[in-house]
Amino acid sequence: MTESASNSASTPRSRALLVVLFLVSGAALAELAVNARITSEVARREDWMEALAFVRGEWQPTDVVTSAPRWTDPLLREAAHSLIDREMAGRSDNHRYARLWVASIRGAISDEAPEGAPDFERDFGEVHLARYALPTPSLRYDFVDHIREARVVRMDGTRAIACNFTPSFGNNISGGLQAGPLEGPRHQCDPARPWLWVGATTTMDFELRARRCIWNHPEGANPIISTYESVTLGERVSLYGGLWWEQERTLDRGDVDLVVRVNGDEIGRMRHHDGDGWKHMEASIPEALHGQTGNVSIEVTSPAPDWRTFCWAGGMLGGAL
Amino acid sequence: MNEPALVRGVTPNWRDHLLGFVLAAVYTAILLATSTNLGMNRDEGFYVDAGESYARWWGALFDGDAHVLERASIDAAWENNHEHPSLPKSLFAMSWLAQQRWHLFPEDSMAFRFPGMAMSALSLWILYLFGTRLFGRRAGLFAALSYALIPAVFYHAHLDCFDTPIVSMLLLVTYCYHRSITEPVWAIWTGVAYGFCLETKHNAWILPLVFLVHFVFVAGMERARRKSALGSEAKAASSGISLTPWWLVGMVLLGPPLFIGMWPWMWNDTLQRTGEYIGFHVNHVHYNIAYLGHTYFSAPSPMGYAWVTTLFTVPFTTLLLGAIGIVLRARAFMPTWFLAKVWKSGNPEPDRARTDVLLFGSFFTPMFVLMMPSTPIFGGTKHFLMAYAMLMLFGGYAFTRLCEAFSAELERMWKRPEAQHLLTGFPRGKVLQQGLASFALLGLFLAPAARDTAHSHPFGLSFYTAIAGGVPGAADLGMNRQFWGFTTGSLVPWFNRTLAPSASVWICDSTYTAFHMLQRDDRLRDDIRVAWDLRQADYAIVHHEDHFNIVDFQIWEAFGRVDPVYVLRYDGVPIVSVYENPHRNP
Repeated sequence: MTESASNSASTPRSRALLVVLFLVSGAALAELAVNARITSEVARREDWMEALAFVRGEWQPTDVVTSAPRWTDPLLREAAHSLIDREMAGRSDNHRYARLWVASIRGAISDEAPEGAPDFERDFGEVHLARYALPTPSLRYDFVDHIREARVVRMDGTRAIACNFTPSFGNNISGGLQAGPLEGPRHQCDPARPWLWVGATTTMDFELRARRCIWNHPEGANPIISTYESVTLGERVSLYGGLWWEQERTLDRGDVDLVVRVNGDEIGRMRHHDGDGWKHMEASIPEALHGQTGNVSIEVTSPAPDWRTFCWAGGMLGGAL
Repeated sequence: MNEPALVRGVTPNWRDHLLGFVLAAVYTAILLATSTNLGMNRDEGFYVDAGESYARWWGALFDGDAHVLERASIDAAWENNHEHPSLPKSLFAMSWLAQQRWHLFPEDSMAFRFPGMAMSALSLWILYLFGTRLFGRRAGLFAALSYALIPAVFYHAHLDCFDTPIVSMLLLVTYCYHRSITEPVWAIWTGVAYGFCLETKHNAWILPLVFLVHFVFVAGMERARRKSALGSEAKAASSGISLTPWWLVGMVLLGPPLFIGMWPWMWNDTLQRTGEYIGFHVNHVHYNIAYLGHTYFSAPSPMGYAWVTTLFTVPFTTLLLGAIGIVLRARAFMPTWFLAKVWKSGNPEPDRARTDVLLFGSFFTPMFVLMMPSTPIFGGTKHFLMAYAMLMLFGGYAFTRLCEAFSAELERMWKRPEAQHLLTGFPRGKVLQQGLASFALLGLFLAPAARDTAHSHPFGLSFYTAIAGGVPGAADLGMNRQFWGFTTGSLVPWFNRTLAPSASVWICDSTYTAFHMLQRDDRLRDDIRVAWDLRQADYAIVHHEDHFNIVDFQIWEAFGRVDPVYVLRYDGVPIVSVYENPHRNP
């Protein structure tokens, strides 16, 4: 028990303790100062409202608005009101838009912002607003927008069984973590298997992001086919697909295959493997068909369909309007 | 031997107990006063249901109804929430019975929460006594206050839950065990306290292992010392260390009987139900929790979780002092052979009870358990708050040493001739100087913690410190925003002001009991209803946690819109979004 409780400022140990005392005191003051700075730089609700009110005044039909960092998305939607709809909130890309507005805080940069300087910038309190020009919109036909008009069948061998369109919501409207993407108006493929439907919804992909898409749970090896008739064909079909996070995250379930056909001929396919996330594919339209009308079919199958809550989105890109 | 073994330690007297009691009482009063704007969380709702069920049983027992001891009556009442032991919930039940009879509290929720608050506040009393006994009164006071001013502790201490009450119980058992090393009669109290600890929460299971490791350390060192002291009987006998693990005898003989005896659910099919209870926690599911941008939902858990969340949620100055305390005491928890070979001289010397080994082991063990890849990490920091209590004892030691250095420096400065005329009329005296120095440093060192704690309320689980960049910085880093849905309580002013008469709300992560408690407490308008069907709800809320994004998207589809009418924020970070159904009845 040799430790001494008495102190003398003249010993090296005491001097060292004084240095520590100085450092801890400095740390305490610095901590208070940093906290004060953090709270003073918080963007107020009014800042968001003013920024989005400005956007609303400048809004054009082919505009899109986003925010950065990504966690500010609810704040953006609150301030944007009706500027953002489900299609915009759950978009997979910006092919339908000509201008991008970015509302950001804390110096964050949107991963959607194109390279180069914005053509407009202004601060609204702590919210920084920027506007970028995007490439000329190339989306000619959106499959999600037109899923109601599509002809949907499930194949039973060579027999096609129609999936009848139901304009009402399904039974799964209690909501909650276990409920998954909500079933709205849809093509119901088998009343005995309520999950076997095709229709627009919003899913949560592997990165927990919103994806407005077409729910298309595969039945198995027999395809479920959605056919869009008399579509004006552009240069390529762009498709995205993925599963509800809860069913993809275990990385141990069956693949999902998606095949694209034009007038019955396969032009592209994609195999989605757990962990691929919101996977993208493009399939070229044969040049001879550019500008023609034709039938575009999307077939979905899976060798192991259990819990394959597959959802896909996309459309026809390029070519003359 | 009833003397403190460490050089700065003081044997607590009645004034110390009085101060410990005052600390606990004031903390409880603050918790009560600040609970009025803190909504109940999911688990609190479950424990309210259990408390009410148990209260009916206790009430019948007090009324002399002999049937309550029959199996059917016991099972009917105690089946509810039988995955957790009964002590805290029985106290919630007693408090609820008292509330029904005497209306002690202005809100029903306070009646359920009060026992948890009081049990949590007991930590301050024990920490003060323990710290005083080990390192002196300044250390005890700093340990108690710095623990009280950890935002996560402050949040959990409000609740009718078990996460801070179990810290009090763990501290109590550890204190008793420490005393039993030199005073075997304390083995009885160790056993009694362990029974209460077992009956509070399953965290108690790990305690014997911690004590065993410590005791092996103590006994090994003591045997070596006695061997080297052969021929000097007086020296060999003076340590007061008992080499018989009486504490273990006390824990084994008294702990389980008290555990079973206090929990009526265990009175029937005891072995099977004990197995069921253990199995539930050994095989506990992993809930979703975000950490550094990734949402974990199963093993393996990230090894750094406990350390990083501690760094991000405990005020930095508090942590720094704890770390300095560990460094200053490091020599005292090293093995003797290591000191003899590597670190031959220096301060402090270990005491015979190897107190520092016990403190460090009790600090490190909960953190170590969380480092196991199989350990679920849900619950933020609530599963290792005991580590914080122990760290605060080291912090108290560091605080004491810095106060001593500061006082000595002041004394030296004040003795200078040029200072004499400046200090004319200024209070003098060594004790006074030390007191002033201590209080000045106490205020300075605890100011960030006090600020953080005040700022964290009522968003305790959403709070992050300056190290994380505050709440928005933690959002950037992808840290968990909240859990348990307690932030619904912070929507009450908006609900009361905005919602149409008889409006219905889909309540996301809140339970009915938790939501309804807002009405029982007269905080929320009685006409507001809970909706279970999202599509039919007038309003829907979503608690922002990454994995709850799916609920956001369900609401978009159900309501056909994506714009919330209100977003509850905390430091500019979304906590809860409220959506209005455009199809609702006006």
